[in-house]
Amino acid sequence: MLRNVALKSLRDIRRGFLWWSLGLAGFVALIVSVWPTVHSNPGLNKLAQDYPEALQAFLAFGGAVDYSSPAGYLGIELFSLMVPLLLLVAAIGTGASSIAGEEERGTLELLLANPVSRTKVVLEKTVALVAELVGLGFVLWLSLWIGALLANMDISAGHLAAATLSAVLLALAYGTIAVLLGAATGKRTVAIGLTAAAAVAAYLVNGLAPLVHGLEVPQKLSPFYHYAVGDPLRNGFSFTHMAVLVAIAVVATALAPWFFSRRDVAT
Amino acid sequence: MLCPMAEVIRAEQLTKSYGRHRGIVDVDFSVEAGEVFGYLGPNGAGKSTTIRLLLDLIRPTSGRLSLFGLDSRRDSVAIRKRLGYLPGDLRLYERMTGRELLDYFGHLRGARGQGEQIAERLDLDLERRIKELSRGNRQKVGIAQAFMHEPDLLVLDEPTSGLDPLVQETFYELVAEATQRGGTVFLSSHVLSEVQHMADRVGLIREGRLDLVDSVENLRAAFTHVEATFAEPPPADAFAGVAGLERVEQDGSVVRFALEGEIDALLKALARFHVKALDVREADLEDVFLARYRGERPDAP
Repeated sequence: MLRNVALKSLRDIRRGFLWWSLGLAGFVALIVSVWPTVHSNPGLNKLAQDYPEALQAFLAFGGAVDYSSPAGYLGIELFSLMVPLLLLVAAIGTGASSIAGEEERGTLELLLANPVSRTKVVLEKTVALVAELVGLGFVLWLSLWIGALLANMDISAGHLAAATLSAVLLALAYGTIAVLLGAATGKRTVAIGLTAAAAVAAYLVNGLAPLVHGLEVPQKLSPFYHYAVGDPLRNGFSFTHMAVLVAIAVVATALAPWFFSRRDVAT
Repeated sequence: MLCPMAEVIRAEQLTKSYGRHRGIVDVDFSVEAGEVFGYLGPNGAGKSTTIRLLLDLIRPTSGRLSLFGLDSRRDSVAIRKRLGYLPGDLRLYERMTGRELLDYFGHLRGARGQGEQIAERLDLDLERRIKELSRGNRQKVGIAQAFMHEPDLLVLDEPTSGLDPLVQETFYELVAEATQRGGTVFLSSHVLSEVQHMADRVGLIREGRLDLVDSVENLRAAFTHVEATFAEPPPADAFAGVAGLERVEQDGSVVRFALEGEIDALLKALARFHVKALDVREADLEDVFLARYRGERPDAP
């Protein structure tokens, strides 16, 4: 595990990864275990469909608010807010720590005394971030799939995978932005704060767009729009929208070494 | 000399300005292969700034800096392959053991090296987590990682801070072995006795400017330290006006002189009194610098 910067960085987050996995799996188990009760209570669905439009827009994931199908239920309970929230917290935390965390702890000075370029360091740290998110995505998908089997939910493993992958890519987009800001400023709190603020803004823009005139264009720029609009729980993989999220991550990852290589490292 | 020695470090009008902080200004020096170059100066004078430029952690505002004939910025990775660094403010991976840290850096440098043997010589337990180690033991981890791959250039910033005297001796041996292999050492310190012990040449940096570069031998030879014991305490102004006298300290019938240049004038002045004992020796670097900078005050910030 100490062969290179990427593996060493993964090793550093192994304990955190375990807790995140347990948390995600536990949360999925909780939500799935409630499904039989919700399913046998059609009144809940009627109630939800009477909700104000504004609330529905935030509640639903992709399509309309619908408590009667597994896809609708998992969308509302997991994928509209909690799953992206949890994955984003993990991704932004790891991303901001990648460079800025080591810099603030002072270990970056010794690491960069080794014959590794700054570009290599930031890229390997990004590889570790990708590996962490793919790992968490796998745990999430596995718990969903097992949970769906046990709870007799009529939803395919492929559609669960599509929704999970969308969430992972959304988290990756923000995680790499956090890497970029940490690499450019060397300050972890700046990286976390700015990335989180950008995510909240993008979330609100996407949620409010159906209600507010003039947000249609900004909505298309929101990563949350591309995360949800393909409705992956019902329709499966939507490669165009996933490509947008990947493109954000690629651009952020390409810019990070450029900024990092051009500045002084703090004492 | 068989052949002209290769320059390992060359700084030309090297300048680094920070916003409000003082950096370094127009620093010129070169360090040749196989020598120990002592870089002296009070805290905040610019020692760490120079070192961080050598490591390409920070970038010069102007001027040129090359190591092994390579550009400090463009060829930094190639330079760092041949370099071992011990930071003055050593921060290690707290959750790793010493062995894991050496293992990690060994992989990054592509050389397993001598880390374990060095740790053994320093009496360092590699199995303990770094967060559990005392300051002195952390310093040993820092020394082991700096020396482990037998680098051509060692950049050592305040290397013996926190080490007990016995371990310091081992450290001096490690430095001596490195130079015997042909290695070069850039040693920053504010402990003059340590620099005197190890360095061939010294540079003195004050307020960001390199004041003087000379061999330790020359610097010490320029000054003489004389201690005279008189039968009776001489009058206080007995040696006023003696040529070359830099400093006089009287302690009853014992008087100590620091003297620049020839000793003749002082001897003739001493001869007027009844001298019971006389000790003449080369000055310490400490005397040299005290004499040279006596009475000067750093500019108020």
